[in-house]
Amino acid sequence: MATAIELKNVVKRFGEFNAVDDVSFSVEEGTICGFLGPNGAGKTTSIRMILDILRPTSGSISILGEKNASLVRDRIGYLPEEKGLYKKMTAAGIIAYFATLKGMPKKEARSIARELLQKYGLGSFMDHKCEALSKGMGQKVQVLASIAHSPDLVILDEPFSGLDPVNQEVMEEVIRDLKSQGKTVLFSTHVMSHAERICEDIVVIAAGKLAFNGTVQQAKAILPRRVRVGGESIEKVIPSLDGIVSCTPVQDGREGVLELIVEETTDSRNLLKSFFDAGVALDIFEVVKPDLHEIFVHLVGEDAREAAHR
Amino acid sequence: MIRIYRVALREYMENAKTKGFWIGILLFPLMIWLMLEVPRFLEEKGIPTRHVIIVANDDVAGDISRQRLTLLNRQKSLSSLQQHLAKETADQRAEMLENTEFDAAELLEKLEEGLSQISPDAGAINPFNPEQLVEIGDLVPDEMLLNDFRWKALKNLLISQLPEGSAAFVEPELRFKEVSLPSDLTSESTNEEIENALRPYLRGEKLFPSTDENVDLFALVIIPENVFDGENQIRFWSTNLADTDLLDAITSSLSEHARNLEYEKREISTSDVTEIAALRIRSNNFNPNKEAGEEKVGIRDKIRQYAPIGFVYLLWIAIFSVAQMLLNNTIEEKSNRIIEVLLSSVTTNELLLGKVFGVAAVGVTMQLAWIGSMITILRLKAGPGAEWVVDLMAAVISPELLIGFIFYFVTGYLFYAFLFAGIGSVCNTIKDAQNFMGPIMLILMVPLGTMMFIPNDPNGTIATAMSWIPPWSPFIMMNRMAANPPMSDIVGTGVMMIVSVIMVFWISSRVFRVGVLRTGQPPKILELLGWLRSSNS
Repeated sequence: MATAIELKNVVKRFGEFNAVDDVSFSVEEGTICGFLGPNGAGKTTSIRMILDILRPTSGSISILGEKNASLVRDRIGYLPEEKGLYKKMTAAGIIAYFATLKGMPKKEARSIARELLQKYGLGSFMDHKCEALSKGMGQKVQVLASIAHSPDLVILDEPFSGLDPVNQEVMEEVIRDLKSQGKTVLFSTHVMSHAERICEDIVVIAAGKLAFNGTVQQAKAILPRRVRVGGESIEKVIPSLDGIVSCTPVQDGREGVLELIVEETTDSRNLLKSFFDAGVALDIFEVVKPDLHEIFVHLVGEDAREAAHR
Repeated sequence: MIRIYRVALREYMENAKTKGFWIGILLFPLMIWLMLEVPRFLEEKGIPTRHVIIVANDDVAGDISRQRLTLLNRQKSLSSLQQHLAKETADQRAEMLENTEFDAAELLEKLEEGLSQISPDAGAINPFNPEQLVEIGDLVPDEMLLNDFRWKALKNLLISQLPEGSAAFVEPELRFKEVSLPSDLTSESTNEEIENALRPYLRGEKLFPSTDENVDLFALVIIPENVFDGENQIRFWSTNLADTDLLDAITSSLSEHARNLEYEKREISTSDVTEIAALRIRSNNFNPNKEAGEEKVGIRDKIRQYAPIGFVYLLWIAIFSVAQMLLNNTIEEKSNRIIEVLLSSVTTNELLLGKVFGVAAVGVTMQLAWIGSMITILRLKAGPGAEWVVDLMAAVISPELLIGFIFYFVTGYLFYAFLFAGIGSVCNTIKDAQNFMGPIMLILMVPLGTMMFIPNDPNGTIATAMSWIPPWSPFIMMNRMAANPPMSDIVGTGVMMIVSVIMVFWISSRVFRVGVLRTGQPPKILELLGWLRSSNS
């Protein structure tokens, strides 16, 4: 499979500040890649560099096989983080305009614009001026504007922010539709649940540095396997069991519940059996499935908090 | 290219949809129309008949004054008869003009010749006022108007010229009408008595009972005895201080008579005096820049010299109206964050060029609409005479001149348009932009101030020096074009303007590239310089 985006040792410096610091990652064609990171981690700067809106201080970027996004800009769709529309243009007009800027013939652009608005539930607002649309509707219009010219690569910067749950689902649907058409999607977010639901690959950056690049499965493997147990005089039994790395009380406020970090090789069924064998009356036995949220906090927690205090 | 076109097209369409655009387009012809109609309306409704009481303690002076009032009344009647005639025969004259092929250049020469004969001071006559040419009535001698018989004959002659089926001529109201003193006063009464008795009428507190109706008394004129000796002064009573026509008419006619008396006393023939007063030293102006045999400077050259003012104005208005649009649009795109999407689709240069051309097209549309509506209104209102003026202008402005104007117009426009777009890109609000706009507006005021005096000395030191300052160069050079400035100046400033436009474009596109993505405070000058140096930010 070919590579849609590849960054090699990319650095972007604003004065003394390294907004992006030696970041390398790649996105395969036809995949949905989540671009995750806390606020101020350098996501938007990276995206702008990928799109050739900003130029990197050093390092190289290749996009759709070219060195520079301006050579393939007609094949790219982009939704920036801060969304805005021409207030005086109609919803259909603005989508058509952006599509024509991407080289689509005018007539085709107009009919595509109407088609898309119809498909994603804005049919009755087609000829409304953008200033009359609600924020969420405006955002949808903008998303549609970024994909109207049927780009091979779609880059969405925070597509979910500001949308209500129903529209967040519509947004997820849009992204899945794009994948089913064989498009590549890179989207940034800091809401992990979306990434977990729709991404295959994720890139995590924190404080300008790459923290992780791989599949969601691989990301989940970063966190150690954990089991939560609770029961009478359970503490006494634990040291005698094999395959347990550490044991701490849980942080969620439940009393008498312990979180065990177990070795990779430990089978949870065997662990349960050994508890029975030791004659412990178990109240609780949970195998913790790590979600992206935890992985995210694990990967960037320190940096994010630091950044928040900066 | 197609992207520049599309950005420009959107810019054009969006601006063309705004109310301001249409108001701008429609307001102008409305103003022109009002400018033409209001004076005409005022003239028609105009000044009512002024009722005057003349108390003359000197019979000769009284006769002279009354004669002058009759003259003014007849002149008014004559001019209104002429207008009536002009209106009724407009179609005929239009037809005649259409059927006659005339050579504008030849006509101009004839006109020039004619003017120097009509008036000793040809400069005072505006050759582009068709009324001045039509009003041959001005040349009718006063004696003819004052002779009742000849006046009647003249009127009948003019009325007989009216084509068949035209409306009858309605005599206008008299300009001045003398009313007699109330019965309780005679010319024997003292000035004081008369003045006191008439005071309430003059103040407008009461209407004056004239023979057939009660009227507003406009003025009381008391002409003293021995007025020609210069001992006593005329007493003029009126609340209206603005309308001095009456007083002027009386004083000037009496002064004239006083002078004549004096001539007689000193045994100087009055006809000699008139002849001597008519003596004029004539001059011919020659321009050494012109070909041998054609050095004579005529009206044509004068018009040539002043015509550029129109173009300077046009450029100025174009820049001014476009500045606001460019700033607004750039700031809107920036504050709405649309700019980022745009920049993922087009390069900064394409965006900048597209905007500037789109807005330019809006400006040109507006100006064409203005010129079109102006010509239409002039044609409707002023008849075929206006066309004639346009032809004359065309004869005066040679193609070389026009090419020069267009060149300086385009470079001047682009120079400022790129500048404004650059400024727009570093500002988040119109308020931010105003800080930058102030100095630029000041710079723009300068050519407006100089455009009137540059034609007086088109190749002087100031004009030449200012031609070499890029922000002023297009204005000043337009101004100078007609005066055949040295070729080195034309070529030099031309190259300089092209280079400056490219430089402003380069700087603006740099600033634009960084500025449009920037939020918060507008940058400091030092920061801006930094942006120019860094090629990549």
